[in-house]
Amino acid sequence: MERLKTEAIFSASGAAAYDEAFEASGKGRSLYGPAFEHFQGLGPDGIESLQHSADLSMLNQGVTFTVYSDARGTEKIFPFDLMPRILTDPEWSVIEAGVAQRMTALNLFLEDIYHDQKIMKDGIVPSSQVMKSTLFCREMTGLNPPGGQHVHIGGIDLIRNESGAFHVLEDNLRVPSGVSYVIENRWVMGRVQPELLNQYKVRPVDHYPQMLFESLASLSASDNPTVAVLTPGIFNSAYFEHSFLANQMGAELVEGQDLLVDRDVLYMKTTRGLQRVDVLYLRMDTDFLDPLVFRPDSILGVPGLMNAYRAGNVALANAPGNGVADDKAMYAYTPEVIRYYLDEDPILPIVPTYLGARDTDLKYMLEHMTEIVIKPTDASGGYGILVGSQASKREIGEFRAMLAANPAHYIAQPIQQLSTHPTWVEQQDGGKGFFPRHVDLRPYAVCDVDGRVRVLPGGLTRVALRQGSLVVNSSQGGGSKDTWVLYPESPGAADA
Amino acid sequence: MLSRIARNIYELGQQIERAENIARVLDVNRRMSLEQGYFTELDVWSPMLAITHAREAFDAKHDSVTRRRVMAFLISDTSHPYSIRSCLNHAREMARTVREHISEEMWLSLNKMYHVITGRTDNSQAFLDEVRQFCNAFHGLVDNTMSHGETWQFLRLGVALERAFMTSRILEIKYHLLLPSPEEVGKPLDLHQWQALLRSVSGYEAYRRQYKARIDPTKVLRLLSLDPRFPRSLHFSIRQIADALKGIGTANETQYDLLMETESFLDDLRGGAARDELRSMLLKDYLESVQQRCEHISGLINEAFFNSVTVTVTDAHKGLLTMQIPQQQQ
Repeated sequence: MERLKTEAIFSASGAAAYDEAFEASGKGRSLYGPAFEHFQGLGPDGIESLQHSADLSMLNQGVTFTVYSDARGTEKIFPFDLMPRILTDPEWSVIEAGVAQRMTALNLFLEDIYHDQKIMKDGIVPSSQVMKSTLFCREMTGLNPPGGQHVHIGGIDLIRNESGAFHVLEDNLRVPSGVSYVIENRWVMGRVQPELLNQYKVRPVDHYPQMLFESLASLSASDNPTVAVLTPGIFNSAYFEHSFLANQMGAELVEGQDLLVDRDVLYMKTTRGLQRVDVLYLRMDTDFLDPLVFRPDSILGVPGLMNAYRAGNVALANAPGNGVADDKAMYAYTPEVIRYYLDEDPILPIVPTYLGARDTDLKYMLEHMTEIVIKPTDASGGYGILVGSQASKREIGEFRAMLAANPAHYIAQPIQQLSTHPTWVEQQDGGKGFFPRHVDLRPYAVCDVDGRVRVLPGGLTRVALRQGSLVVNSSQGGGSKDTWVLYPESPGAADA
Repeated sequence: MLSRIARNIYELGQQIERAENIARVLDVNRRMSLEQGYFTELDVWSPMLAITHAREAFDAKHDSVTRRRVMAFLISDTSHPYSIRSCLNHAREMARTVREHISEEMWLSLNKMYHVITGRTDNSQAFLDEVRQFCNAFHGLVDNTMSHGETWQFLRLGVALERAFMTSRILEIKYHLLLPSPEEVGKPLDLHQWQALLRSVSGYEAYRRQYKARIDPTKVLRLLSLDPRFPRSLHFSIRQIADALKGIGTANETQYDLLMETESFLDDLRGGAARDELRSMLLKDYLESVQQRCEHISGLINEAFFNSVTVTVTDAHKGLLTMQIPQQQQ
């Protein structure tokens, strides 16, 4: 691809050290050749009109989320970018194996710390890291979930740094959200740009609800289990996803008020009386789950649910108490966790991490505040983090005080140069085009009762729409891209 | 079907029906009040508040009843649940929670109407027309775009019961409260009232076709309570309820009792019992008994489908304790 040809609507200026579509020389990567040609052919007007019809179909479908900081609770669409993010089979194979490896190791870790705690006795992970974590769930100790599996649905956030290699940024083992956008994005893509989709051999993603259902159903001994999705209700930011997944799986979407536990069996209240529930897919925080065990003021939960779980009469997915394993401080120990349980080297590297709990690390953090990202260990959604290079003096001062007051609550990482990807945006001067914007990737995996992990070939590519911004969360003004994982090129190659 | 979903669908039907009734009754009243010169002494607006059960809420806000205040109160005041706007807001809220169960067209139409009323404050004739048209179009979508399964039956149940209530209340208040003395019956004012009453339930044309232009109170009563074909008569509404209940089916004792109760009410309306009652009882007593029966059915529906859970929990002494789990009311 000639550089001149793409210049009209594609710009590589401001690209990160690693750009997904352009080589360092500014030349387009051959993988993206057909995409460049496609958009070139459409021209700015054609692209605008496709963008408009994509947005409209998202809005009409009700593919929306609620932004918490917006007092009116307005529903917004998750901005969708027309330029797909493309991953080749060799690239994907590494991700797939790496994600499965992490899920397996973290499952073993969770089963261990809620039973024998061998990893702590062997000194691999300090007891204080686990036992002092606010996310350690005492109620899970000694409890035997089906198959000893704790993580049934996981989302692992990955970034690509300047070397082009994927690194793990964080694990989401509690209620990873966003998978509905993966499916909807592909659906919209197929609607507005079928020709482009046709030029690549893209692996499908719309079987995720079946994958999820099979994993959930495997947790019950019954042949035909009743599976229900527990949502906090329509005001939750991810309500669309809850109802989408329930609908796609043919499962009932329930709220706490629909459920009751009688003699350690979970039922839902129907017009024909009580119906037993075998598997409950939890889409709310553990804190709200059971007022008898967790927060007594919760009206969203089900009194007695944990007793039913402990009695083995209902399976919960994900298991409560997983937070202790995706805690951001715990993240620093994950390579050791993988080596300890699997006797393997981690396939996906992690980003170097400083722990506020370690004195030497804390000293480094306080001295290098402008060069690092500081995150609370237990938060998610991009809330409450500090990107040192972009923060004001005042913000840095505030964080310094918080850090000094409660160091173990924070971790820090060197600011990562997330890779960039051409994204259709309006520049400040009003000109529109594909400009480099930072992206990450969240693949989704499910795990069944036997510990078999399946990774959905695709994932959510989130993009920071503001120039230079490194925060990609939807709640912080991020958008998304359809992520294409290509079939192996050679015919006859194994397709996992 | 989850009880909560069933209840929300039932309420969706109920709220749409209520909004339409308020719009229609207000519209008729407005037309009547245009002839104020003739009935200067008559307060036609207080009964509006009684029909819609909104008197208390109104008195808490206003010290006297005027046309403008009642119109504004019953159309756009969302501080209480009896205004058209409150009903439609509530209906949309219910629809949002059951979107997977209703048709896309129903949702789109309701959502569009919601945005229309949110952006406006006028209480004009045109607005009332628009509300009535919307509600009737919505019923059309209900019948034509969703499958006539359990969900549809619950929606229909909500509509029919609300309609039965409204018709009996309109009869009671329009007639009885306005004309307490028997000697007034038959006077021009009275005839005017009967005509308005018929219009309040879209029944003027039906009456004329069936009984010609001479208005006879007994015939009006017969049309509105006993006629099996007039869609707002008690008979028709109760039959709709019975049909809906049969469509839903009976899975327990309470549900069976509910169906039997409805059937026996229907038998009375269909056979001579109600006609005899109408003749022998005072109208007031008759309408009171009708409303009690409707209330009874409403209570049974609540118990049989939405609130039926009786749980046994083991108490500290290992004895069994039976308790009812009340569902949150919205």
